[in-house]
Amino acid sequence: MNKILAVIRREFIERVRTKSFLIGTFLVPVMMGTFAYLPQMLAKRETGARTIIVLNGSNGSAGDRVASALSGARIGAGVQAKPRFVVRRIEAAGRTEAVRDSIVSLIGLREGPLDAPDGLLVLTEEAVSSGKLAYLGSNVTSFRDMNALERTLEPVLREERLHRQGVDQSVVEAASVRLDLKATKVTQGKVTGQSAEDSFWLAYIINLMMYMTLLLYGIQVMTAVIEEKSNRIVEVLISSLTPFQLLLGKVIGVGAVGLVQLSIWGGAGFYVTTVLGRQSGPAEIAAEGTAPSFSLPQISMELVTVVLVFFVLGFFLYSALYAAIGAMCNSQQEAQQANTPVTMVIALGMISMFALINEPSGTLARVLSFIPFFAPIVVPVRFAIAPLPALEVALSVLSMIVGILLVIWLAARIYRVGILSYGKKPSLGELWRWIRTA
Amino acid sequence: MATPVISVERVTKRFAGHTAVRELSLTVPTGGIFGLLGPNGAGKTTTIRMLLSILMPDEGRVVLLGQQASGRQLSERIGYLPEERGLYPKMKVLDHLAFLGEAKGLSRWDARKRARSWLERLGLGDWVMKRVSDLSKGMQQKVQFAGALQHEPELVILDEPFGGLDPVNSQMMRDVVVDVARSGRTVLFSTHIMEHAEKMCDRIVIIARGQKVVDGTLAEVKQEGGKSHVALSFTRNAQAAREVLADRSLVQSVDDAGASAEVQLAAGADGERLLRALVAADVGLARFEVIEPSLHSIFIAKVGSDGARPEARPEVA
Repeated sequence: MNKILAVIRREFIERVRTKSFLIGTFLVPVMMGTFAYLPQMLAKRETGARTIIVLNGSNGSAGDRVASALSGARIGAGVQAKPRFVVRRIEAAGRTEAVRDSIVSLIGLREGPLDAPDGLLVLTEEAVSSGKLAYLGSNVTSFRDMNALERTLEPVLREERLHRQGVDQSVVEAASVRLDLKATKVTQGKVTGQSAEDSFWLAYIINLMMYMTLLLYGIQVMTAVIEEKSNRIVEVLISSLTPFQLLLGKVIGVGAVGLVQLSIWGGAGFYVTTVLGRQSGPAEIAAEGTAPSFSLPQISMELVTVVLVFFVLGFFLYSALYAAIGAMCNSQQEAQQANTPVTMVIALGMISMFALINEPSGTLARVLSFIPFFAPIVVPVRFAIAPLPALEVALSVLSMIVGILLVIWLAARIYRVGILSYGKKPSLGELWRWIRTA
Repeated sequence: MATPVISVERVTKRFAGHTAVRELSLTVPTGGIFGLLGPNGAGKTTTIRMLLSILMPDEGRVVLLGQQASGRQLSERIGYLPEERGLYPKMKVLDHLAFLGEAKGLSRWDARKRARSWLERLGLGDWVMKRVSDLSKGMQQKVQFAGALQHEPELVILDEPFGGLDPVNSQMMRDVVVDVARSGRTVLFSTHIMEHAEKMCDRIVIIARGQKVVDGTLAEVKQEGGKSHVALSFTRNAQAAREVLADRSLVQSVDDAGASAEVQLAAGADGERLLRALVAADVGLARFEVIEPSLHSIFIAKVGSDGARPEARPEVA
């Protein structure tokens, strides 16, 4: 037992002392903070209102409606809201093309008159009826500006067309109320106050976190095995410890480093999303200033437990596999190829999230939860979307434990033979012989 | 006779395609230095790995320290320096040596204390807090050596311990090995360099092609060779000497080292006839001595030229 402890301690201390661990551990929270602040910083960078010329070649009230809608568009909400567009209107019925060409020459001029226009909106009779509007501007690559224009103009033109068909103005207004679906998550009969976006983000973050940590620390175990094999210290070690003890110490030591790093990241993430996150939001592409601010989803104690338990189980499963692969290979380059199948399986688990998010309790989700290779990612993700019955979680844990025992049994046999074998990578047939004879 | 420290009974180990060790038996008595000799690929490393239960014999059995336990279970009482050895390059020297001690069952505190004193003893006192990768190759070998000895094992097994060492370090290690043996403990080392074995060993076993070909104390082995060997060294006319030595009625075999040679006389021939023939051929002689055969010539005679096999590295499979 003391020997295993010595291996665990060595793996842990030697890893925690490295520069890459320190940088990784503390840089990631800094990056998380940056991502939380970035949208705010970008929003602040946004320049003031765009100057838009409305070149009106249409009849009736279309020109008025468009000009007033654009003038009314705001950035932000409440008292801080600022006008999004400065509108100049030019009447050019019958000669739109000629006027258009002369105005185009002014667009985007930096050293021209101070109020050089950013763009030109050409409103013709045909545009009103077909909805095909021409906009010529220096800012057409701005997703935000184009989105804002579209969302502002679309209802206005619809109203104009209805009006021309003789529909009463009050009816048009009453019919033009925009849909605002407010989805709220209900958990076991209780309204949580958590929005649909919050649930998605939480599931997404957990998905990514599980994927990254399983991959990262699994590969660390593999690298450690190859290192011991290639610098030939392994023979001294296994004259004192059984290969299984050595493997166990290594897996626990690396896993402990992973848990420490996860805890630091988790703590920092919690701080960033609760304390800082409430002050800003993620990049909200929607042009309207009424974008809901991103809030940290409610994280229950049950969810935290599920995440940690499945990280530990998943780590044991995958690190045993990675250790076996490490033992089969002679160099890191060789291992990079050999580990592809395992890495693909982890990636499949991650990708399956996009199927789960629509139907977190569907047949696919249930089946995946009982397959040990997918459960470590699938179960926490499902749990984040909607808590699972305790029995289902327990059964999943049980299936994982059975899977882990099987995988460790196989991996330990491959490891035992592999760490002393140098030369060619074993074929599948040789591998099978290793498993049988070990 | 006291319980032997190692007893190997009719052990066989096969790998895919060949038999590495075939029905090998050997007994290592307590105390002294035991040499396991053989050409490359003879099965020395496989034998040693079976002693330490890194490999399991297919047939036969190994008894260590008179106990019904595997080498690994007894690892606290055994020190081992493998032929293929290495260290963690990024670890600090002291931490590394202490870790090896802990792997041998020492407490953390004790392991650090012993590691420090061994590093002092081997002249690495200034390097304790340096990284292993900062050490020269010779220094790293000293650390590995200390790793095999620091827990004061009753049995020390060294696989090719002097390979790659410069003469100064090699001498230092040999002194340590002799010290260990003098303190009543047992050292088994493998080598294919006969000079080391001849100077240090009390008993030897020579194996070739996985089988034992010579077994006994150094004196017994040499006596068996008889006094039919002559050591020669030439000052002049070595070419003429070579022609004399080619006479198979006089000389059975020659171990020719250029300016010197060791010859085994042919049956019925004697030293005097050889000396007369050399003088008649006008060969200048700095040395002419009838001797016991050297271990080297016994080795060559017993193992033969086909004793060395190409498949040197035992593969586990």
